[in-house]
Amino acid sequence: MKSLLKFSILPWLLVMGLSTSAIADEVKADSINGAQLWSDTCMRCHNLREPADLSKRAWQYSMQHMRIRAGLTGKETRDILAFILELKTEHDSK
Amino acid sequence: MKGIIVGIVLSSAVVSKLLAAQDDGLELGQLRQEVNELKQMMLELKQSNNKLKGFAEEDAVNVSSESELSKLKGTVNEMKTELEGNSKSGFQLAGYSSFDWADTQGEDNEFNGVKFAPIFLYQYGQLFQFEGEVEMKVKDDGTTDTELEYATGTLFLNDYMGLQMGKFMSPLGQFVQNLHPSWINKLPSTPVGFGHDGAAPTSNVGVALRGGLPKIANIRSNYALFISNAPTFGVADDGDIGIDASGKTTSSDVSKTWGGRFAVDPLSGMEVGISGATGKAAEELVFGDTIARDYDVFGIDLMYNINSIDVKAEYIQQKIGENILSPLKGGTWRAWYAQLSYQFSSLKIEPVLRYSDYHNPEQERNQWALGLNYLFANNVIAKLAYEYNTDEDDGAVNSSANNNRVLAQFAFGF
Repeated sequence: MKSLLKFSILPWLLVMGLSTSAIADEVKADSINGAQLWSDTCMRCHNLREPADLSKRAWQYSMQHMRIRAGLTGKETRDILAFILELKTEHDSK
Repeated sequence: MKGIIVGIVLSSAVVSKLLAAQDDGLELGQLRQEVNELKQMMLELKQSNNKLKGFAEEDAVNVSSESELSKLKGTVNEMKTELEGNSKSGFQLAGYSSFDWADTQGEDNEFNGVKFAPIFLYQYGQLFQFEGEVEMKVKDDGTTDTELEYATGTLFLNDYMGLQMGKFMSPLGQFVQNLHPSWINKLPSTPVGFGHDGAAPTSNVGVALRGGLPKIANIRSNYALFISNAPTFGVADDGDIGIDASGKTTSSDVSKTWGGRFAVDPLSGMEVGISGATGKAAEELVFGDTIARDYDVFGIDLMYNINSIDVKAEYIQQKIGENILSPLKGGTWRAWYAQLSYQFSSLKIEPVLRYSDYHNPEQERNQWALGLNYLFANNVIAKLAYEYNTDEDDGAVNSSANNNRVLAQFAFGF
């Protein structure tokens, strides 16, 4: 029974995931929501990194890395990134 | 009389002639004046024309500068693109490093740790990311211990699901997968039972589905489900009986392990997770055969950060079943810890208090750790700590678990 479960659940979820790939919408990132998520989720594990610590491009990669680690949705990841890049624009242009 | 009249007429004629001549003179003067004025106007027009010519030349220079600026911008963008690779894919180097010093009761103090753990990130658009961490540590004899902590590719299927493949940090619990890097861990050491070969599984080789879920009743949640090769069970090199739950590229002919973690964020800054896994552990007997032992994992974890107060707690256990073919008894390897810290951001200092407890069929250990951190920056941290260690049974081979220690560490993340 255990074997049946384990070999059926993951493929089923995978098919479900692929069939819902259209859910990944292109709604514009919400930096206000990103600010809230930034303080809620990042600080839970570690000290906050300053936006100036990384380049814009490096932040994109780091946020995708943190999407996996922190269990963020794609939209939440884009929101946090938008907030960080907004802060960067205000303080530095790297 | 006639003469007078003729005289008057003649005089009138002469006067009128004279007047007419005077009028002609006036007209000529006016004409001359008009000509002069026209000349003046011509001169002014010429001057204006010259000025306009000058402006036109200046404009031409400006237009040329603008085109040069535009060309320069183009060159900079080209160089940027060349430097960063094409727009869809690129690399980033992240990671952490730490240097340790320890003064252990009954031993000489020593610089006892140098660790360098670079993390390579490769990303292709929003579709795929590879991440790999190599942990390098200097050993007692001066040689370097290198371990591939994880190497995994994640295919992002949609906003809520990533398919992860390769060797990944165990998704069970929280400390191992997210809190072990030295710039994140608030003390120089790991809680007892949460290191390698303790109660907490460290890594898996297999596949996982993970991601964040849509909000339900305004509560965020996330999940991770995995299938991986089996762990092994047996006598370790140090003589202790234990579970090796680090990822391997063989399942040793026993069935796979499968499990996962589900976590909710009931409050802002809080996450509560529950983990579980089941399967078989492989044990190699002395005469070479491999047998399967039941293997089950259970864990709960909590993280809460509010107003500079940080609370972390976790319980994890791995259970090995019995097998009559083996002389080794099964049992439960369990560990838990609770940690409290407060960050005085204006002073950049952070006191930390942690209690941890580890139990296995051979050992009963617990530890109090009190630390003080100084934050040069949020990712550059100096730590000083005192550990009070107790080994209830003191049964482990070469155990120094009862020795208290003063620890110092300099850690940074990049």
